Amino acid sequence: MSALEVEAVADRLATHRSAGPRHRFGFGEILAALFLLFVLVAAIAPALLSPTDPLAIDPGDAFSPPSLAQIFGTDESGRNIYSRVVHGAASSLVIGVSATVIGLGLGVLLGVVAGLGGRVVDFGVNRLLEVLFALPGLLLALFLIVVIGPGVVTTTLAVGISTAPGYARIIRAQLIAVRSSAYVEAATVQGRGRWWILRRHLLPNTLAPLLALGTLGVGQAIVWASALSFLGLGAVPPSPEWGAMLAAGRTYLSSAWWMSVFPGLFIVLTAVCATVLGRGVQRRTRQR
Amino acid sequence: MQQQHLRPALLRATAAISALVLAGCTSSPAETATNDEPKTGGTLVYASGDAEPTCLDPHVGGNYPQALLATQVLESLVSRDSEGTIIPWLATGWEVADDGLSVTFTLRDDVTFTDGTPFDAEAVKANIEHVKDPATGSSTGYLAMGKVDSVEAVDATTAKFNLSAPDSALLESLSQTWVAIESPAGLERGTDANCEAPIGTGPFVITDWVKQDSVTLERNDDYVSPPADAGHDGAAYLDAITWRFIPDSASRYAALQAGEVDVIDNAQPDTLVAAEGEDGLSELDAPRPGSSNRIELNSGKAPFDDVAVREAFIRSAQVDEGIESLFFGTADRSYSPLASVESAAYSDPSLFEYDLDAANELLDDAGWTERDSDGYRVKDGERLTVAFPVSTNQSIPAEQSLFEQIQATTKEAGFAVELSPLDLSSWYGALAANEYDAVSAPYTKVGPDVLRILYDSAGITPAPSGYFANHSQVSIPELDALLDQANATTDEAERTDLYAQAQAIVLEGFYILPLYDQQNHYLLRDSVVGLRAMPTVSTPTFYDAWLDE
Repeated sequence: MSALEVEAVADRLATHRSAGPRHRFGFGEILAALFLLFVLVAAIAPALLSPTDPLAIDPGDAFSPPSLAQIFGTDESGRNIYSRVVHGAASSLVIGVSATVIGLGLGVLLGVVAGLGGRVVDFGVNRLLEVLFALPGLLLALFLIVVIGPGVVTTTLAVGISTAPGYARIIRAQLIAVRSSAYVEAATVQGRGRWWILRRHLLPNTLAPLLALGTLGVGQAIVWASALSFLGLGAVPPSPEWGAMLAAGRTYLSSAWWMSVFPGLFIVLTAVCATVLGRGVQRRTRQR
Repeated sequence: MQQQHLRPALLRATAAISALVLAGCTSSPAETATNDEPKTGGTLVYASGDAEPTCLDPHVGGNYPQALLATQVLESLVSRDSEGTIIPWLATGWEVADDGLSVTFTLRDDVTFTDGTPFDAEAVKANIEHVKDPATGSSTGYLAMGKVDSVEAVDATTAKFNLSAPDSALLESLSQTWVAIESPAGLERGTDANCEAPIGTGPFVITDWVKQDSVTLERNDDYVSPPADAGHDGAAYLDAITWRFIPDSASRYAALQAGEVDVIDNAQPDTLVAAEGEDGLSELDAPRPGSSNRIELNSGKAPFDDVAVREAFIRSAQVDEGIESLFFGTADRSYSPLASVESAAYSDPSLFEYDLDAANELLDDAGWTERDSDGYRVKDGERLTVAFPVSTNQSIPAEQSLFEQIQATTKEAGFAVELSPLDLSSWYGALAANEYDAVSAPYTKVGPDVLRILYDSAGITPAPSGYFANHSQVSIPELDALLDQANATTDEAERTDLYAQAQAIVLEGFYILPLYDQQNHYLLRDSVVGLRAMPTVSTPTFYDAWLDE
């Protein structure tokens, strides 16, 4: 998420407080939910959706185009691509969700510390965030991976840490906006203690948009994790990770398009569906 | 409204372009067939898929990408013709002393480096000293010059190499670009300046290097010293070469198809198959000399310090089918430590037959009797792990897929192969730290003497660059003696026999799993005429090449 996008999201979060018309579930949202449900089942119980071993090789059956028996075709070692996509859902989803949790967690921590910690702390945290913002997020993630070494855990950490500054900014802005609102002032005038205000007004109103942010973030994190695997810095062979599969298929793009199209489609669809759902959640939380 | 006006014009333009393209397609093969007179001029664009060298001086380190470029700029004392005979180049003749302890070269007296420095015996001495100086950080050249004690400049055109022991491979070693002769004045500028633009006597001169993009080579108009097997005399035909780096295979081929570049190297198996059906492209296949592509098993530490475990690994690795499907028939299976272009190559296919039962039995007998829940074998609480660092710069995608297949088949015997794709410096780091059980690092060298570099126990000690070549960490006194003897003998038949014995020891000790020959395919547009690969290390030379456009 670039700094500009972050500002835009923050703007929307800060200004949009009026109640809109009540939303019902749109067609798009239902489709998105269904697709994500499929990915979720694939991540939790891949064997339900594809009993074939995603690691079983069959060099004699390499580069087979999609057919009834192997609906996504086979890759360069004769492995079943459908099975690899299904079994790869877990790592993509786990990376996406955990990275978002890490990013949000760090973001909340930094944002709350900055928003409540007084001028000096706020100044310090802000400068730190500015330094982190100076580097594009993906670059920061690459840097972390180079320092710690590639692997699934590192990728998750790297993506999480790299997204944290964006979240921190949003939380801080939200917190400051809420703090200067009339009802907080009223509570202060009434003589309520700081902790009471923090518990009753500040935290609930600041953290409410987190669910929406998180859902939006998961899609982003999956794309980032795939990008890192694509660059050979994420999942290690032969584990079926979407980004790594996309990278492997790139070599054979002109002769075996199915090797990259299907994992690519799943990355795109998962990110899009998570965003569609995130938007929906965002709209609904604002109404309250 | 505007669009409607535009459309007919656009259509006409498209039609005209297609007509031009079609005309181009049909006429080009006829042109190349009839037009034999070389044309002077033009800039050829070469796209390399190898990693961009950090230093263009092949004395420093000494890898293949450096040799590719340096072949256009630097020249050696001798070369090798397509029959394998050593032929004159910067040296017109040579004489080996009766005791084999010195070789005296007679040098050309009419050659000047492109910076104006004359080529003479002092220059040869300065170059060999540069290669042997630990501060240079040479590995390939350093190892090749291992037996050269000193070089004496007897007079301007006579250079005497004094050897610590007879070296039957000296001429082959000297024919390689990694010990090419550079201007002594250029060497004196220091490593940094010399890495930017080494100065030689060759047909082209390095004039510019834009990092991460390209190197510009311009013709040396005063060139006089082609090797004895070159196609013409005098300066090169091309005005210049733009030497680009396009690491991505698909982009490189697309650039060739689009006519953006004229020649590409590292053409991948699937690209070769695609290019066969393409008009206007042809292939130059130049297998590299030296070692075959093989997986070296580190016998210096557990678990591969046990010959039974090494054999079990090799017996449980299924390779043939993978090579067939991944390389689309462009590569043959190898059963030898040496490249098949080497006449001394010795093969033994019987040692490499897939036999899972035999592998299981070997492992059981070796004490790896238990298996954990993932199916991997365990002994004393330790999993049977094979750490396998893979250099993503040096290993092509098809080969990396082959490694994954070997990972899958050896798993059935209980091996946990851990493939870790690494960038070049991390990969060197893993080797230097002895953090590997298996590794694939083909070595290019002219002649069977590469066996001494790869399997002599001395090769476990790193060269000044930090690189050591004996990755299997083979240390057998009998093998060392054989390799020394082969290196000392001048009798060709005896030499071949000794090398065959040495190779048998390496194969029967299951130190390596040979896979296939080192691939080296170039694709070129039909407008490029006269391109050939040096019969030394198979790098392309653009001296005789010209553009028929």
